[in-house]
Amino acid sequence: MNYILHIIVMIFIYGILALSLNLLIGYGGLISVCHAAFYGIGAYTTTLLMMNFNMNFFLALIVGVLLTSAMSLFIAYPSLRLKGDYFFLASLGFQIIIFAILYNWVNLTKGPYGIPGIPRPHVFGLALESEFFFFLFCGVIFFLIFLISKVLYNSPFGRVLKAIREDEIAAEALGKDVPAIKIWAFAISAGIAAIAGAMYAVYVSYIDPTSFTLDESIFILSIVLIGGSGNLKGPLIGVVFMIVLPEILRFLRIPDTVAPNVRQIIYGLALIILMKYRVQGILGDYSFE
Amino acid sequence: MEITVLNKMKTDTLILSGISRSFGGLKAVDDVSVEFPPGRITGLIGPNGAGKTTLFNIISGFIRPDKGEIWWQGEKLSKYPPWTIAMKGIGRLFQDVRVFKKITAIENVLLGKSNPGECPVNLLFNSKNVIARYREDIERAREWLAFVGLKEKENVLAENLSYGQQKLLAIARLLMADSKVLLLDEPTAGINPSLIKDLILMIKKIAESGRTVIFIEHNMNIVLEIAHWVYFLNEGRIVAFGRPEDVLGNHEVRLTYLGL
Repeated sequence: MNYILHIIVMIFIYGILALSLNLLIGYGGLISVCHAAFYGIGAYTTTLLMMNFNMNFFLALIVGVLLTSAMSLFIAYPSLRLKGDYFFLASLGFQIIIFAILYNWVNLTKGPYGIPGIPRPHVFGLALESEFFFFLFCGVIFFLIFLISKVLYNSPFGRVLKAIREDEIAAEALGKDVPAIKIWAFAISAGIAAIAGAMYAVYVSYIDPTSFTLDESIFILSIVLIGGSGNLKGPLIGVVFMIVLPEILRFLRIPDTVAPNVRQIIYGLALIILMKYRVQGILGDYSFE
Repeated sequence: MEITVLNKMKTDTLILSGISRSFGGLKAVDDVSVEFPPGRITGLIGPNGAGKTTLFNIISGFIRPDKGEIWWQGEKLSKYPPWTIAMKGIGRLFQDVRVFKKITAIENVLLGKSNPGECPVNLLFNSKNVIARYREDIERAREWLAFVGLKEKENVLAENLSYGQQKLLAIARLLMADSKVLLLDEPTAGINPSLIKDLILMIKKIAESGRTVIFIEHNMNIVLEIAHWVYFLNEGRIVAFGRPEDVLGNHEVRLTYLGL
């Protein structure tokens, strides 16, 4: 039972990440490989505030979200001038810098040793120690993020973001403040990723920089690309595919040493097949050209 | 020249004064000074590469002039980015249409107008206003779609419309913006003749309501029919200007442009 709950909690956490990255990719048309950086900043900020200042989880979470949104300016600003491949490289640089900071600022982050013993939050005086309660809590947060995403995607803001994705010049000629909209998209996307980071930290109760590497960013990007972007269902089907698939492999009696490699091969194959035959992903509306 | 005194006061006349712009060694626009008063339909004509579209790009802020200034309603427009110029009421129809292809026709038209919900803060704190404005706008957007004959295509992705229909969609989007100055780059190219008639009527109506219309056109019959005033550009300079019948009768215009 706990095993199933664990899988669902992971689907919720990665679901939040995929929905937030979808705002940038499917709506803003910005392929970025630094989402694990935002995820990590959120996880570390929340954890450090809880552990060092005894701060309440929700307060720490809010600070984490705000700080991550503020940090997103470092990548949002270059995105105003850089397009396509150049922006992709800038986001790669940002990811590497954040990882280097998490890994090397040992006084603050304990570097490669990681931070163990992160407490679970209390909600209405109830500690969420049991897997079931945490699953419910995570489900509620996921549902809230889902609703927020739905409102954002269908709002005038979402519409302008789509217009910018299609044709920045035409959007500007219609009086749309393209730089401001892009900065907002980054701030919101990064803030939501930070929520996923905080949830992950208190769920696993241990974080270290290896959870927030470039590989992780590519994994999140693959979720959105395989599932499809530009709507709500695409990223979510991507999450189910990418999280549940390796679990199925467990039951196929593949030796433990081989399983991770098989998984990587399947992910890679899925990407190649989709890029060839269904560029917009399994259920996506938007494809890069 | 028509301009005797440069009037920079708070007026609805769009004033271009000494605009020049070069690309490398090529002078795309060379010392152009013109006034576009409200209520007037002005035609820009001239051979390909004469600088007509570049002039539109300069007015709408996509290209900065090397020299010269643009004034409108007492403000120097040439210091603003394109989106601010558009917000101030200068609308533009692109020659290459530029509809948003992967979104629906109605959404394309809705984008013509700004909504407070384009700022996420308003979604959170001013949602009533956002929804109220959306309800008004969607009605209006439907009216404009019906006007250009695309009522049935409301929920069709723009990329699935024909070129002519995309052009009509771009016109509906521009009309939705309710601009005071309309820059129309070849508005009738690629549109079927029956719709051109409606479009001409519409352009005339827009001008009668006191707006400024500036259009680039290669079809001289249309120029003769709707333009009150015409500028003939060649190699970035204004070579002739005046009433359309006079300009089209001009010897140099007939020789360099019409080939007569």
